[in-house]
Amino acid sequence: MEGTNHLWEMVAILKEDIKKRVEKREESRWCDRLGLQFSGQLHGHCLILVVQQFKGILKREIPQFCCLINLMIYHIWHWILELVYFSRHEDSLCNDKRKKSSEKRFGVINGHRRSFPVLGGRLHFVKFETTKINECLDFIHSKQLHRGDDNNAVIKATGGGAYKFADLFKERLGVSIEKEDEMDCLVAGANFLLKAIRHEAFTHKEGHKEFVQIDHNELYPYLLVNIGSGVSMMKVDGDGKFERVSGTNVGGGTYWGLGKLLTKCKSFDELLEVSQRGDNRAVDMLVGDIYGGLDYSKAISENKEIEDYRPEDISLSLLRMISYNIGQISYLTALQLGIKRIFFGGFFIRGHAYTMDTISFAIQFWSKGGAQAMFLRHEGFLGALGAFMSYEKHGLDDLMISWMEKFVQKGTQITDPVPMASPRTTGLGGFEAPSSKGDTLRSDESNLNVGVLHLVPSLEVFPLLANPKSYEPNTIDLADPNELEYWFTVLSEHIPDLVDKAVASEGGTDDARRRGDAFARAFSAHLARLMEEPAAYGKLGLANLLELREECLREFNFFDAYSTIKQRENEASLAVLPDLLMELDSMSEETRLVTLIEGVLAANIFDWGSRACVDLYHKGTIIEIYRMSRKKMQRPWRHCDILRGAAEAGGLLVDAMINIQEGSKQKPSSTRLMVVENGCGSPCIDLRQVSSELAAAAKDADLVVLEGMGRALHTNYDARFKCDTLKLAMVKNQRLAEKLIRGNIYDCVCRYEPAR
Amino acid sequence: MEGDRIEEVRLVHSPVDEISHLALDIGGSLIKMVYFSTSREQPIDKTQINASRDSHAVSRSSKDGHLLNGRLYFLKFETSKINECLDFISSKQLHYRGLQHCGFPASDKNIIKATGGGAFKFADLFKEKLGISLDKVEEMSSLVSGANFLLKAVPSEAFTYVNGQRNYVQIDHNDLYPYLLVNIGSGVSMIKVDGDGKYERVSGTSVGGGTFWGLGKLLTKCKSFDDLLEMSHQGNNRVIDMLVGDIYGGMDYLKIGLSSTAIASSFGKAVSENRELEEYRPEDVARSLLRMISNNIGQIAYLNALRFGLKKIFFGGFFIRGHAYTMDTISVAVDFWSKGEAKAMFLRHEGFLGALGAFMNYQLVEEFPDTIHLAGEKNRNPLVGDLNDNGVIECCVQARPAVED
Repeated sequence: MEGTNHLWEMVAILKEDIKKRVEKREESRWCDRLGLQFSGQLHGHCLILVVQQFKGILKREIPQFCCLINLMIYHIWHWILELVYFSRHEDSLCNDKRKKSSEKRFGVINGHRRSFPVLGGRLHFVKFETTKINECLDFIHSKQLHRGDDNNAVIKATGGGAYKFADLFKERLGVSIEKEDEMDCLVAGANFLLKAIRHEAFTHKEGHKEFVQIDHNELYPYLLVNIGSGVSMMKVDGDGKFERVSGTNVGGGTYWGLGKLLTKCKSFDELLEVSQRGDNRAVDMLVGDIYGGLDYSKAISENKEIEDYRPEDISLSLLRMISYNIGQISYLTALQLGIKRIFFGGFFIRGHAYTMDTISFAIQFWSKGGAQAMFLRHEGFLGALGAFMSYEKHGLDDLMISWMEKFVQKGTQITDPVPMASPRTTGLGGFEAPSSKGDTLRSDESNLNVGVLHLVPSLEVFPLLANPKSYEPNTIDLADPNELEYWFTVLSEHIPDLVDKAVASEGGTDDARRRGDAFARAFSAHLARLMEEPAAYGKLGLANLLELREECLREFNFFDAYSTIKQRENEASLAVLPDLLMELDSMSEETRLVTLIEGVLAANIFDWGSRACVDLYHKGTIIEIYRMSRKKMQRPWRHCDILRGAAEAGGLLVDAMINIQEGSKQKPSSTRLMVVENGCGSPCIDLRQVSSELAAAAKDADLVVLEGMGRALHTNYDARFKCDTLKLAMVKNQRLAEKLIRGNIYDCVCRYEPAR
Repeated sequence: MEGDRIEEVRLVHSPVDEISHLALDIGGSLIKMVYFSTSREQPIDKTQINASRDSHAVSRSSKDGHLLNGRLYFLKFETSKINECLDFISSKQLHYRGLQHCGFPASDKNIIKATGGGAFKFADLFKEKLGISLDKVEEMSSLVSGANFLLKAVPSEAFTYVNGQRNYVQIDHNDLYPYLLVNIGSGVSMIKVDGDGKYERVSGTSVGGGTFWGLGKLLTKCKSFDDLLEMSHQGNNRVIDMLVGDIYGGMDYLKIGLSSTAIASSFGKAVSENRELEEYRPEDVARSLLRMISNNIGQIAYLNALRFGLKKIFFGGFFIRGHAYTMDTISVAVDFWSKGEAKAMFLRHEGFLGALGAFMNYQLVEEFPDTIHLAGEKNRNPLVGDLNDNGVIECCVQARPAVED
């Protein structure tokens, strides 16, 4: 048969490609069980996409590769120096080459594809206290950040310190500082973050974060309140269109300045930290004492010296006074200008729950609930980001979708949770004060809450999504504490197994063992951190957790924990593929279809991430297990919807294939099978950010098949598409089975959804 | 110190005065007292005009009941020394003497009008020590009626403060409302006043006089509020405040209209300098503190006035105390934020609004505008005279017929 000949060709090409990739130690996960699953799609030229768990090559950065850091930027406050720099990876160049060759090989036809313009890379955020400016200079020097492409780097800087430290930079590093207007930078930074970073803005009430998705078209006007040493309030009407409308001199500098004088704390962070153990009732006059409730009045009526007050109480009292005041003035200003949205940024906030709660409370109180305070996760880096944006050459403006944030960073200390007693009601100008109910707060969350922004210029929204705006990849919302706990336990318990596999994949060397242990520690710490504050890294879904784990593995140089296993399995699968295909070809169309679906589902039993399955694997080779699970497939699929769906899908698939075969007669030379990366870094797929390669290839697809738990259950289970969709997976988790399909472990989901 | 002043008052005004109608405003830090005293002696400096007014008043008395000539006395005590206040009341027998004279309703006996948070807190103490009950008058309504009374009854009560100069503002009674009354006590209340008894608390802030004193005490070891204010007068806030110029290398940040001398961050310099609290002059610290708080109140007040379209903002409360520097900063803040369109106005009796309001609650005074005149000398030279501390207003009050009660 003609089709079979093509198949052989394809298999040969695939084999070669796999071999090369394995040789290059590249990600091989994508070819997982390829033969078994692709069999149904080899008939025609029309694209039937199997969206598999390909890991984007672009995203796989290899840390020991020499980084080319070509841009950097500072925002120098009076006491905090923010540093933002962009690093580009040399391997991205290699990628482009490889991509070209693969395009050629598979003959991707791609009219709408965006040219791959820019460097991928990472945007790093670092901060220093200006009193320790030398540390900063050393840091820049050690990273050679001041050496640009042309060895003649100009550093963009903003903030007051840009004036103060210009000479020092010239002298120590030999670079000149180009000063950017501070307000311009703040606004540009905020605009960028609000547009480019999903889950950038959030509200914070009583210790709970809630992320706010802001429609880009409705973003303006907003009030940007930047709390540095002092406070600036800007009305922002658009890109580069803003006006400083207000401000106050009572800001972060006041807090720290007064705090330093009153408590002898040595650093801003220390002051914030002690405030967590404070009880401002000790200093503030409370409603109970005198109605009218007043700050510091208590200090009047009692004959106490500074030494008689605990620094903790003073710090908390100061923090509350200043936060509340800023909230109030901001609200009044917004009201005057008729602005609904108020964003707070700047270093004073530092992800500090009590500060955010107090500001939120003030806004809520004075607006009688009509307005909300919103915060930015990258709050401390607005100015620096804005200055960074002022480099014209990088042209990042149109790449708003291309940023991904990663929280895994080697060397990031993840500290144990800091326990805190929640402050109780206090007199706040005669009103109840907010109480931060977060059990645990940390003085500076911003270190942990701000990841490295990865610029992946080739990411796009999956074009077949029916409703991209309301699309939510995660099926399981971890906002539910029960779910959260369950999945954390699952992931935690799986760590030792994963480490074993990962170490084995790297040859089981001592180095690998060390890295494995380091991974286990780091990932456990991240999990603990997220348990404590689920919203720490933005809105948390199961997909994000899995992605975090993969990132974590990669950060410790484990490129694929299962690579050796996969290699073995792939070889076994490819060996039987021709026979299987022949068998399929000989079937009637209806039988073939059922067989195909059965095949996919049966093959889906291989899941090293599922504990239940890992036990199975020890019983035999992949082929044996496959046969065994094929037998299991004999019983009817349990979910009634699924059964019906499968039958309908069956009819359609057959129709589709007939059409394809007819079509193929007219254009016999076009592509029959191609493999593209999906751009995601975990077994899950976030269809808001897929590789533009995939986006281009999928554009005219008639059918999307999502296979496997990560793609079809953990994510996208509820997603709707513009074309027909088939979601196939074996449920290898009892709880998930119960929750999603009211079934049992090893039940199969075959969900067919017609085009929307 | 308070004791000294009280002594002074006692000496000047002979004990033969008939004292009646005491009202108290017991705040978190200070107790303000207003009482009325009839004087048998005619004031020495009484002028023709005053005399004619008196006769006018007398002529009205036939219709409405008794008219009394007398003086309103203003006194204050620190709340922490409440015993001094109790002793004073006791010594003057203020709490019951007056009521037996001149036909005032006897039913008022042993009751004193009081307002402020302390009216609740110290009610038992008054009962126990003096055997009198405090009749609590709502604080906000006291403030408002006190302010309304002053603005209508006392000529040259309101003034602006620009460049160290007081400029008295003649308030047109018909054009008084609406206005924003900012009362700066321990905390700050902002009240929109639309008429007699018509008002609404629209805003406020907890950063007020209490904050100034409390923080000041911790920072400077100052023993009293007045010392702290006095000290701030000799200080220089540039030592410890971070100015715009400090940040931008001495330059103005013209793009946003900030001059190099504007404060960018109160106490901001303490951050970058490795100095202990003891290494700063307390005067400078006090000054920075005062500027921070005044500025903040001025700003919030202006924003609220803007919000409700109010043209007039009156600042009162013991925090101001006619203290030039406080008034100056508040004026500057209002001027700055309103871009010169609004002016902060102050009241000469600013510390006594609440007490006066409580006094008004006796309903002795009707249609007061023409019945009040100030005690002589102070009226003539308003720039010198200052009634923010203890003082007197000479006035007529009208006793209403007892039937009303």
